[in-house]
Order: sequence, then C-alpha cells, then structure tokens
Amino acid sequence: MDLAGLDAALLASAVWGLAAAAILPLLAIAWPKAPAALHDAAPRFLGVLACLAAVGVGARGLAGGSEVSLQWWPGFPGQPFTVGPDALAAPFLLLFGLVGAASIAAHRADHDSPGAHLRLSLHLGFACLLCIVFATQHALMFLFAWEGMTLVSAALVAADPRGAKARSAAFTYLALSHVGAACIALALLTLSGHAGSYRFDTLSSAYAALAPGDAARLAWLFTIGFAVKLGLVPLHGWLPLAHPEAPAPVSALLSGVMVKAGLYGMLRFVWQLPGAPPQYWGTVLLVLGIASSLVGALYAAVESDAKRLLAWSTVKHAGVLAMGTGLAAQLAASEQPIVAGIALAATLYHVVGHGLAKSLAFLAVGEAVHSARSRSLEHLGGLARRMPRTGLAALIATIALCALPPLSCFPGEWLLFQALILGYSAGAGQLRLLAPFAAAGLALASALAVAAMVKLYGIGFLGRARSETAATATEAPRSVTTVLLIAAALPLAWGLAAPWSVAALRAPIAAVLPEFDAGALQGAGGLTLQPALLQASSISPFAAAALVGLFAGLAILWLRSGTGPHGVRRSPSWSCGAPLGARMQYSALGFTKPLRLIFQPVLRGERVMEVLEEGSPYFARPARVTASMPAMLERVVVAPLVRAVLWGSEWGRGLQTGSLHQYLGYLLATLVALLLWGR
Amino acid sequence: MLDVALVLLQTLLLLAVAPLWGGVVAALKARLQMRRGAPVWQRYRDLAKLSGKETVLSEDASPLARGVPYLVLGAALTICTWTPVITAHQGLGFAGDLMMTVALFAAMRVLLALLALEAGTTFGGMAASRHMALSALAEPAMMLSVFTLALVAHSTDLAAISRAIAMSHDAWISPSHLLALTAMTVVVISETGRVPVDNPATHLELTMIHEGLVLDMSGRHLAALEWAASVRQLLLLTLLANLFLPWGIALEPTPVALLFGFVIWLVKLGVFAVGVAVLESVTARMRLFRVPEFLGMAFLLSLLALTSDSLLR
Repeated sequence: MDLAGLDAALLASAVWGLAAAAILPLLAIAWPKAPAALHDAAPRFLGVLACLAAVGVGARGLAGGSEVSLQWWPGFPGQPFTVGPDALAAPFLLLFGLVGAASIAAHRADHDSPGAHLRLSLHLGFACLLCIVFATQHALMFLFAWEGMTLVSAALVAADPRGAKARSAAFTYLALSHVGAACIALALLTLSGHAGSYRFDTLSSAYAALAPGDAARLAWLFTIGFAVKLGLVPLHGWLPLAHPEAPAPVSALLSGVMVKAGLYGMLRFVWQLPGAPPQYWGTVLLVLGIASSLVGALYAAVESDAKRLLAWSTVKHAGVLAMGTGLAAQLAASEQPIVAGIALAATLYHVVGHGLAKSLAFLAVGEAVHSARSRSLEHLGGLARRMPRTGLAALIATIALCALPPLSCFPGEWLLFQALILGYSAGAGQLRLLAPFAAAGLALASALAVAAMVKLYGIGFLGRARSETAATATEAPRSVTTVLLIAAALPLAWGLAAPWSVAALRAPIAAVLPEFDAGALQGAGGLTLQPALLQASSISPFAAAALVGLFAGLAILWLRSGTGPHGVRRSPSWSCGAPLGARMQYSALGFTKPLRLIFQPVLRGERVMEVLEEGSPYFARPARVTASMPAMLERVVVAPLVRAVLWGSEWGRGLQTGSLHQYLGYLLATLVALLLWGR
Repeated sequence: MLDVALVLLQTLLLLAVAPLWGGVVAALKARLQMRRGAPVWQRYRDLAKLSGKETVLSEDASPLARGVPYLVLGAALTICTWTPVITAHQGLGFAGDLMMTVALFAAMRVLLALLALEAGTTFGGMAASRHMALSALAEPAMMLSVFTLALVAHSTDLAAISRAIAMSHDAWISPSHLLALTAMTVVVISETGRVPVDNPATHLELTMIHEGLVLDMSGRHLAALEWAASVRQLLLLTLLANLFLPWGIALEPTPVALLFGFVIWLVKLGVFAVGVAVLESVTARMRLFRVPEFLGMAFLLSLLALTSDSLLR
C-alpha cells in the first residue's frame, strides 16, 4: 500500500504545526486583548499534536516509509530548502516527537511572571528548530536550524528571571557552542563548495572526490563541532551549567534530545556521507567516551543540586553513546561489520532509551523542585508521600537511569558489553588493549551512576521533609501528573520490548552500515535479544520482569498466609528514644561523603576554614568553613586557556597606541605581507 | 519437561539451603571460639518466628516500602532460575545471563538502599551511604572478573561459561583465571557482608552496613529481606563455585551426574563455610576507610586479569 500521502501529511503537520504554534503566543504581545486560549492553550495543543505527528514521521521512517520531502524556496541562490527525513533521522525524530510532546504538555504557564508568552514561544520555537535539524536534507538549512537551536535554547537558559547564575551559564553555553558551530559551519560550507550544492546526497559524492587528507580534516572539524553538543570531555563544561538552569520541560528537551543531535551529526557527516569514518576516529571517540562516562558519573555522584545531578548523568550517558559509536567505527574499520552493527545497535537503542528516561527524570524532578521551591537535595525530602504520582514517575526514571532491567537504559549497555566481548576477540590489536579498559570504565561508571541516582531519589523523595517548603509541598496539577505517568510508561515499554525495539532500528543502522541486519539480534520469536555470534548469550527483559513479578507474588502469598497479624501497622520511626528531627537524617552531601573520600585524589575538593573571632583555642570560636570542588577539567584545561588569552590580550594591548599613523602603518604592513604571501 | 523440572529443582534447592549455610558458619565459628552456639537450623526458626510477627512500618515510609521486600526476594529467585547449581544445563538462560545477573544484584542493592532511606533515621542513611560507596567498587570488580571468564567461554550465559571452564583442560590454570578468581573471592566476601569488610554478628554497631539497611524492618518484611539476603549470599558463593571452580558439575542431566553434582556442590559450600568461619575467627574487621583499598585491589586485580588475558593469548 502506498502511504506517501500520509507521510507527506505527517511531515508537513509536524514542521508547519510547530512553526505556527511558536508564532501564536507572540500574538498576545502584539494584540493583548486576544482571548487567553488563543495564545496559551491553543499553541500548546497545536505543539503537542505536531510533536505526535513527528512521532508518526519517525515511526514511518523506521518501518521503511516512503521518502517524501517538503520544499521551500526562500529566494537564496542555490537549491530550495528541503525537509525530508531519511532512515537515519527516523529514531531521532521518534525520540524528539515523544519527548517534545511531553515537554510541551508539561510547560507551566506562569502568567504572573513577565515574559511568559515569550518563553512559551521560545520553547515551541526550540522544538521546531530541533525537528528541522533532524529532518532537513539541506546543508544551509541545517546550519541555520543548528544555530537557531543554540540561540533559542540559550535564551531559554537565561530566561530565569531570578539569577545571574543562569545568565553566566548561558554565556558559557553560547561561547562553547559557537566554537563548535564555527567548526561545523566551516566544514559544511567547504564541503558544499566542493559539491556545488547544498543537498546532502551531493555532499556524499563531494566527499568521495576529496583527497583523503582533506576529507579526514573535514571529518575532524565536524567531530569537534558535534562533540560540543554531545557534551564529550573535554568540551562538556557548558552542559552541567546550562541544562539545569532552563525550566524543567526545556531541560528535558535539552538533555533528552538536543544532546543526541551531536551524535546524529557525527553519524551523518562523519560516517554516513563519506561512507566510512577516518582512521583513528573510532579509537579517539572510544577513549573520549570512557573519559566522559567516568567524569559524568563521578560528578553526578557528588552533586547535591537535583537538576545538575541529572545534567552530569547526561554527560555519563553521552560518554556511553560515544563509546558505542567509537567501538562501531573501530570494528567497521577492521572489517567486522556484524560486530560493528551490534555496537551501532547499542548506540541507537540507547539514544532513544536514555532520551526517554532522562526527559522523564527532568520533568518529574522539575515538578518536585517547583513544588518544594528548591533545587538543592538538602531542602527536599519526603516528596514521594506528598506527591505520590510525581514520585512514582521519578522512581521509574531513577531506576531506568541506573541502567537496571527491565527499563530502557539496560539493553543498550548490555548490547555494548556484548560488542566489547566480541570486538575484543575479533577486533584489531588496538581494541585488544582498549576493550578491557572500556569494559572497566563502563562498569565503574554504571556503579557510580547508581549511587548518584539512589542519592537523587533516596534523599530528594524519601525520608522526612528537610525544609519547611518541602513539608508543605503539594502534588502537581492532575493534567501534569497525567503527562508524567504517560511519559513514565515510555521507558518501561521501550525496555520491556527491547528485542522488538532493536529490530525496529534496522533501517537507520543499515543506512550507516549496509552489511548489518539488526533483525538478526532478535531471537526466539522476538522474546529474546541475542547476538548470534556469541553462543547461547541472550536476555529477555520481559521474561525477567515476569519472573520477578511471579516470585514476588508467590512470596507475598506465602508470607501473608502465616500466622501473624495481617496488614501493616504504621508507627513513628525509632531514633533511640530521642525526638526524631529531619536534620538527623543523612544529608545529600553526607550520603556520598565515602565516595568523595575514596575519589579525593581525582576530585581534589578544597576546604578553607577561617576563624572569625580571636580567642582561646580551648573554647569554641565562630568560624567559617568553605568547601568547594572545582571541576577537574576546569582546572587542567580551561584555567590555563583563560590565562593564555588574558596574557595574549595584555601583550596585544601594546599594539594599540592610539596613534592614527601607526594604525595606517599596520594596514600597509598587512597589505605588503598579503601581497608577498599571495604571490 | 526435564528443563522445567531442573529449573524448579535448582531454584528450590537454593531457596531451601540458603539459610542453612549461614547457620553452619555461625555454628562453626561458635565451636572455634569454644562456645556451644546455636544449632545449624537456627536461621529457619528465626524466619518462622519473624513471619509470625506483626509488620510495622515507619510513618514516613512511602508506598514503595511495602513492595520492596518482596521485589528483592523475587529478584533473588529470578537469578536462581538461570544459575548453574548442580548442572550446567541451560535452564532459563534465555531470560538472563551474566550481565542480567549483575544488574539484578544491583537492582536488589538499589531497592534496599532506598528502603533504608525511607524511615528518615540516621542508621538507615549511614548504611545506605556506605553500601552504595562500597558496591561502587565491588560491582565493577565482580563484572570484570566474570567478564574475563566470558571471554574464555565466548559467551555470557552462566551455564555456558561453567560448561566451558569445566571442559577446558588448562583454562583454570591461566594467570587471568587465577587473578579473576582472587578478585571474585574478595567481592564475594564484601558483598556477603563478611569479616573483614562487615561483621554479620553485630547489631547497632556504628560500622555495620548490611544489618543497618534492614534496621527499620519487622515481621513479614524482615523475613522476606533476611531470606533474600541469604539467597543472595548463597548465589554469590554458587557463582564462585560453579563458574570459577566448576569441577564435578553435571554436564548431562543423568541421575548419577545430578546426584554427584549435588554432593560436589554441598562439599564446595562446606569448604567455603569452613574457610569463612576460620577467617572470621582469626581476623578483625577493617576500618571502614581501609575497605575501599581492599575493594580497589579487587578491581585492579580483575582489570589485570582482563589485560593479562589480552597479552598472553
């Protein structure tokens, strides 16, 4: 059956729907008397519908739908702007649609605060640009959308009316992103110049016509540019600063989807278009991935700000994605397409799996933080009882982000481990040395991430309320909690149905690695996930979950049939006879103190104690203790860079004397130098 | 049919024998310390008594607390269905493998740590904090040491690993196997909460870890958790016995081989029990912040096992 009409309609409604939705709230600014529904409820409803249409586009793309495209000619010289998603874009669009719908539905309209309409408009515009980044087939349009996405999201990060912190985070974000964007623009425009066209399909042949050295240089430029968006060490500095400052639904889009745009860019421009990535690309990505996952997990574990903890965890998972891509590229380079395919399947599965879990975490934690009016875990606590539905959603997100079965992050890491075992046996010499360290890094990072997530839920949502505001927190409105619970079903479904989910990624994997059929990973009629190369290794998240449920049910029946009294009596917690106060609980800082001590040589926390009043040392004197933990890479990489720039500007100031004659002299010297060089 | 019977048999065996092992160790320790001690089936009596008592929960606990004890027990029993106990037959291996096993252990740990934080008391927080810190080192060490075996066996299925090591002539004597075995032994000592990492005989001691996690539990919930803990302990020991030292395990499900496998399994567990009892009687518990060094050693040993495998093959 030909469904080209349906595909075209879905695509058009996704793109134009989001664009229209982004414009509607601006009506309120131009025409304040317009009915409220027109600039609040209507655009959100339209945005959700458009995102669901994007889900449809992604799903049709995965199912091998027909290639349709929308064209729009803005009057530039060159080809018309083209939006036409292909197979590689499909999983990203699917993820975007699901997360975008939840994010827009959960947008809080704070009508009292100034700029509410503008924020809604920016939020919808951000979603629209993200959609175009994934769906476009036109280099110039990609660049415009990429830059627009960065600018709009930076505006949303800085939109917090309270703080200078948000503005400084947005500044760091913009600075680093523009370094990345410059690399991408340079590479993409050079490539289009060679191709004489902006269409992606012509870029591929332009790549083939380039000298190998030039092609590799372009590929490295792309890699640097996209690594910034992906948040890979050492270019991750902006991510834990900027992601938590945005409103929670925007954070969900940033961490859940926008980070994956970096991976999409790498797969598209460094692998798919040239046909094969440059040599050593895989190794570099694998090493950076290991470093990112360890750094992200470690800093997540010692972080006490609920949203920043989630942002650090994004760095960890970005590292896992880079590991998967790097491993796949390594193996593809050493003629092992089947094993490379397993690593690639792990990566693409994890793109969606992590995106769904992380956006749910941001949405749920965002509601809790909004209700308790603090982002610090030290001021939360006891929210699971006061906000049961939000608490349930947060619990599911927490367990998913721990990479525990049967939720959505486990099968991805499982596939990655399988690829590591196989790659170790089959891969090149380099991989024989790297694979053990990759396995060790992944195992350690996963264990640390578990500690971080237990801290997030255990300190933030369980126990007693740690502050007045947390004690009076109330459940989020029904409409929001419904969205949360629907969003909570997604990582569960993606994880339980892992064998089918992986098989559904067949088309995008084949777009990058034509020799591999992801359907081969499905075993026993879809019940199990198994790489056919390893004998008898398989998992079935569904069967394991069913078994746990069965045994737990039997245990309940058996133990309740005993002689003891039924039911559960509630009583106050016992604290050795003293009245129990909230401050007797372990604090967020204390909870991971053992980890801080164990990893002190790496973290290098600093602690300054100053005594405020002189007096006898035998009596308590007022004192101030300042403890801080400057990020390791800030110290090692960024601080010397800043010093170098400052030193350079200091030196450069000597050139500026204010004398016009001297400036004219400079002009002349430059001109002569250029003439000599150009000869 | 035979498969289902074997799975049920092995699961029930682990469930039934689990409390006994702890009882045997306690009895042996008592003898070594010139005491008479409790009988070896004391743990069964404790479980029966607990399940007859009233179940009390803290007022501060969320709805999660009512499900966790059963989920933890369910997860432990789920691992039993694919663990080779007396036979290296496939069982329910399609549902879970080595990584699923490690992940389910991690799930049990996460649920227990969350449960400990439910009541909002200091002891729960302390135990959860220490538990998460130590397992952050123990879990990767365990993962890597079994990963070494997976490389040799070219499979991550537990039964397949056990079979491959049992049938190989020289895999067990290689340096990587011995290093991995050492690392796994350290991990098992730590994860089962034994001296020198933790002391299972103490209550209300500031340094305890595993007992502190269940301090606020009572009645049926405590019974389920205690039972789950003993099943987990026996599972770890069985993994050590049947993956690293798999001699005598039934490769084919014939009655004689199964019986032999059962006897050998009991003998191995007996040897472990004697070893643990002697170790606990002659050594003291470590200071808490010495434990990371001990576990870090296990992590490095397992990493060494992996890299030496890559160098020597």
